[in-house]
Amino acid sequence: MKIYTPLLFFLGITVVSAQQKPKDSLIVDQLDEVVVTGQYDKQSIDKSVFEVKVISRKTIDQLAANNLADVLNQSLNINIMPNPSTGKSGVELFGLDSQYFKILVDGIPLINDEGLGNNTDLTQINLDDIEQVEIVEGAMGVQYGSNAVSGIINIITKKASDHKWQITPYFQEESIGNEYGWFDKGRHIQSIRIGHNFSNKFYANATYTRNEFTGLLADREGKNHQLNDGERGYEWLPKLQNNIKTLFRYRKNSFSAFYRFEYFDELTKKYNPEVRTNLNPATQTTNPTASDEAFFSERFYHHLSLSGKVFKKANYQASFSYQEQKRNVETYTYRIKTREELNNQNFEYESRQGLYSRGSLNNLFKNDWFSSQIGYELSNINGYSSFLAGDYDSDNIERRLESYDVFTSAELKISDKFSLRPGFRAMFSSKFDTQGAYTLSSVYRFENGYSLRANLGSSPRNPNYDELFTYFVDVNHDVQGNPNINPERGSSAFLHLKKTFWFDDYNWKMNSKLSGWFLSVDDRIELSIVNQSPLAYKYLNIDSFKNWGLSYANDISIRNLNLGVGISFSGESKELISQTGYNDDYLYGFQLNGNLSYSVPKWSSVFSIFFKHNGPEYQFIQGQNEDNDVVFIKGKRGAYSWMDATVKKTFQDTNLEISLGARNILNVTNVTNTSTGADGVHSGTPANSVILGYGRSYFLKLLYNLNF
Amino acid sequence: MKKTIYLFTAISMFLLGACSSDDNAIIQEDFVVAFENPSLSFAAEEETKDVNLIFSRPASQDGTVTVGYTATNAIYGEDEDFVTLPNAVDGEIFIDFFAGDEGASFNFTKLKDAIEGTEKMITFNIQSISIEDAYVSGNTTVQVTFEETAALGGTNAPEVGGVNQPNQVYIDLSAQKSMIINREAWDLGFYSGDDFRVIINGSLYMAAAELEATNIDLITAADVAELQSQVAVGTFDAANAKYVDTPDGNLEGTAIKKISAEEIENKVYLINLGYEVGTETAETGAVDITDEPRGWMKIRVLRSDNGYTLQYAPLDSDSHSEVNISKDATYNFQYFSLVEEKEVVAQPKQGEWDLLFTVFTNEIPGFGSYGYADFIVTNRLDGVKSYQVESETIAYSEFTSENVDTSLFEEDQRAIGSKWRNGGGPGTLPSLKENIYFVVKDPAGNNYKLKFTSLLDEDGMRGYPSFEYALL
Repeated sequence: MKIYTPLLFFLGITVVSAQQKPKDSLIVDQLDEVVVTGQYDKQSIDKSVFEVKVISRKTIDQLAANNLADVLNQSLNINIMPNPSTGKSGVELFGLDSQYFKILVDGIPLINDEGLGNNTDLTQINLDDIEQVEIVEGAMGVQYGSNAVSGIINIITKKASDHKWQITPYFQEESIGNEYGWFDKGRHIQSIRIGHNFSNKFYANATYTRNEFTGLLADREGKNHQLNDGERGYEWLPKLQNNIKTLFRYRKNSFSAFYRFEYFDELTKKYNPEVRTNLNPATQTTNPTASDEAFFSERFYHHLSLSGKVFKKANYQASFSYQEQKRNVETYTYRIKTREELNNQNFEYESRQGLYSRGSLNNLFKNDWFSSQIGYELSNINGYSSFLAGDYDSDNIERRLESYDVFTSAELKISDKFSLRPGFRAMFSSKFDTQGAYTLSSVYRFENGYSLRANLGSSPRNPNYDELFTYFVDVNHDVQGNPNINPERGSSAFLHLKKTFWFDDYNWKMNSKLSGWFLSVDDRIELSIVNQSPLAYKYLNIDSFKNWGLSYANDISIRNLNLGVGISFSGESKELISQTGYNDDYLYGFQLNGNLSYSVPKWSSVFSIFFKHNGPEYQFIQGQNEDNDVVFIKGKRGAYSWMDATVKKTFQDTNLEISLGARNILNVTNVTNTSTGADGVHSGTPANSVILGYGRSYFLKLLYNLNF
Repeated sequence: MKKTIYLFTAISMFLLGACSSDDNAIIQEDFVVAFENPSLSFAAEEETKDVNLIFSRPASQDGTVTVGYTATNAIYGEDEDFVTLPNAVDGEIFIDFFAGDEGASFNFTKLKDAIEGTEKMITFNIQSISIEDAYVSGNTTVQVTFEETAALGGTNAPEVGGVNQPNQVYIDLSAQKSMIINREAWDLGFYSGDDFRVIINGSLYMAAAELEATNIDLITAADVAELQSQVAVGTFDAANAKYVDTPDGNLEGTAIKKISAEEIENKVYLINLGYEVGTETAETGAVDITDEPRGWMKIRVLRSDNGYTLQYAPLDSDSHSEVNISKDATYNFQYFSLVEEKEVVAQPKQGEWDLLFTVFTNEIPGFGSYGYADFIVTNRLDGVKSYQVESETIAYSEFTSENVDTSLFEEDQRAIGSKWRNGGGPGTLPSLKENIYFVVKDPAGNNYKLKFTSLLDEDGMRGYPSFEYALL
């Protein structure tokens, strides 16, 4: 019976809704792409001095992407690094991890249990009420403060609807690799979104999404496996997420305000592969047990945003936010034979909570050639990290970090062709020395349609808890955090040359973009030997990191065909003064991506295919030669490619949308990796392969648009 | 109306998709009863012993175990060779147990010793258990001999003492005996054999460095200040191995040089007293071995008529205490506590132990001394040797005396060492190596096979080792 219910439901819809009028709002979005990231006000993408990459709702739908990790895999320069043993997925951009990358929602950083905006687990960011995702590469310290070194993502939520009522339920069934079952295997998503225009001033929407990921067993045997052969548990941890989001928006003349609320929870279960057999030699019976953990995360997000005009010309924007995310852990002993949980203990594992506000006043003295912005950003965040989350000498760490930033920038329109935008931010904090960030952006429009953008920017990266508070000292070890270290200094320079070509009487269009960049991080924090005998380690601001590269991307539209191709090439150098005998030669890698979508209006169908190739990546890692001397060896992470394909069909007369597709068609699971070295302090087993995906999987999404 | 239908169907679909099946009912296991050990023997002075029965899980209801016996050259009765409590009735002993019990026992009293040259022996067997779904397996019989014989095998859970591992536990396999010593009970051990050697307590991570001086009263803290940071365990300096006793157990390699008959050759030593026993709890899989440092002392050892003269003093003292320590051939070492300032007995008599469970100062080649928890030392001085066998080569249950390869026996006292466990590391718990076992030759020449059955307790806390063994 269970199997037939969805089928009946959709048959039912087909019958009762046959009279609904078709409406396609996607075409409208296409004409003039508008961005807000880094802008004084909403701006068409062509006028922006920043180079903003947009992932549109259309692309999100074509990928049937439910969370941010589903969509970013296909972006050039970005790698998604999943950690199957924690269930988290982070961003890697220009060779820097998610500590250097900031995730914002409607212009304010989104909290998570390890930080405000950074260290975000991409699988915890649901995309169901999202209008578009905007990506800016490079340091954006003036606009978005610290920890925005490699770039930022600004997620823009939906705040309007053309319909009085808009009710959108959908469900999505997905296999995890080749594992799928109606209840106990696969990924099962159910969602409903309701939007309503109370009047032309008031709009509200609410979304609820449940996402169950049952985990991937692969060669593992699940939680009731009794042998200590390393096969107990899951290769990818099972998790269950619930997400509720609501938005109330008021708009009158130039004044607009919205309040957005989000609740998110996630339950992740970790089954330890180490089984204690507990053989009773007298009776020759066993009582296998394991130490398991269940993680429960909860996020609350409140955001009140006001914007409007004062003194006729000037406009203001202000955001006030309270956010918290807490990750609790329940540890217990699991008796595998009897399936009993014993000795259950609950701890708060890690959390961040606090107040945030950002405000800006734009165009106070505006004329034809000059506009400006002044603003502030404040945050007061309480952080907590339990003794289980780090080596803090069995202590829990509690810390309040207050930041008070002020920033200003001006846009000078020197001529019709040339504008310049300098900016500066001063960052005062309760814990670190005062930091500064600068930016200088410019755009030059050549007569033949070319435009050239140059962006210089900087942003510091604040030390994390491990770097500050680690205390692992016993008879054999001495590894200590350093409360006196300073933020790392990141800066970047980008050049973008763009042109739109038209062919065949405006039936063909091609957007071309050539970009080059240089990015550096100085005063990089690294665990360093501070004493040889007795051997002692401490975190110091000592190393530096450089990355430069070129990319070339094209978007071609020919009637119903859309084609995108891109290539990027980059080199990375690390100066590891913390290590002896380091090698700071540049090591190079490349990435390719392409996507093709073809719409057949007659069938109301869109066929799309996405492809990305990540070339091999190299890193110098510490190793030992035959004489036991420490030497640096070139390690390699193998090449791999992502390919996704989808067919989406809209039944015009029923407003039903069906998407059918396959992810990871090339069946990538892991690649060889010889670039994870031993850490010198306590070398575990060096990993020689890195898990990237769970193999080819298929999905079916059924979505219904009820608009009236 | 139409809208209501959509909504209703949408919501019902939603709820349906959200439910799932999860079967977490607790499953009851079989109830298995066995004797704790396959054999028991009586030393000349012993008269009465408990014979223990072990349950595979706590009993879920009250019941009775019926035990029968066959006697060899012995008769049951107050005026005969042996009696039991509860009494035997028609050759059967009824032992009651109650819900929640994890075992049961009866008492055996030997009334008449065996006559020289005849074997007097009782073999008990479990005949029945009164509750349903109960089974007998494993040690289904126990053999009780009236004179001292090497144990046929057994189980042991040395009381190392949990995550702080406060105890050194000496095990005698054949006599099924153990002796527990607090790690802080002793600091120096004086060899009772022909040689003149002094060992330091590696289980406290002690270290010793020879100084130039021969007058103990002239040494001040300032003289040794520079040396102190090096005279320690775990400095990751290959050169510091000379400050600790050679971990293989060879007395030629003690940190303190052989005590010379020539007084002038016996220098003053700087002694790092190591660390107090840890007191804090530790996370699952971790240990808390050490607490505060125990400080420093200076010592000088000389030969005396029948042993040693020990001079000792705090670092900054300009006078010293002196004590004579005599050799006693019934022990391998005479132990002395510098803290308590007295001689202590900290080891069983010569030849009366095979294995020592202890915290240990080992050496990592190239990196110097390194402290180990959950370490096992074999009694090298009394000729105990051991070697490791892979289950893949031959299963533990199939290994017999014919499989013993004497050429593989290792003299090194670390023949078992830490080989029986995986160290663990970031993200992985330490664990037992379940695919190996050991062959141990005891001082009397008995060969035992020995397999470790736990490293952690049921909840994953360290310091709860156990093993089983059987005579080959």
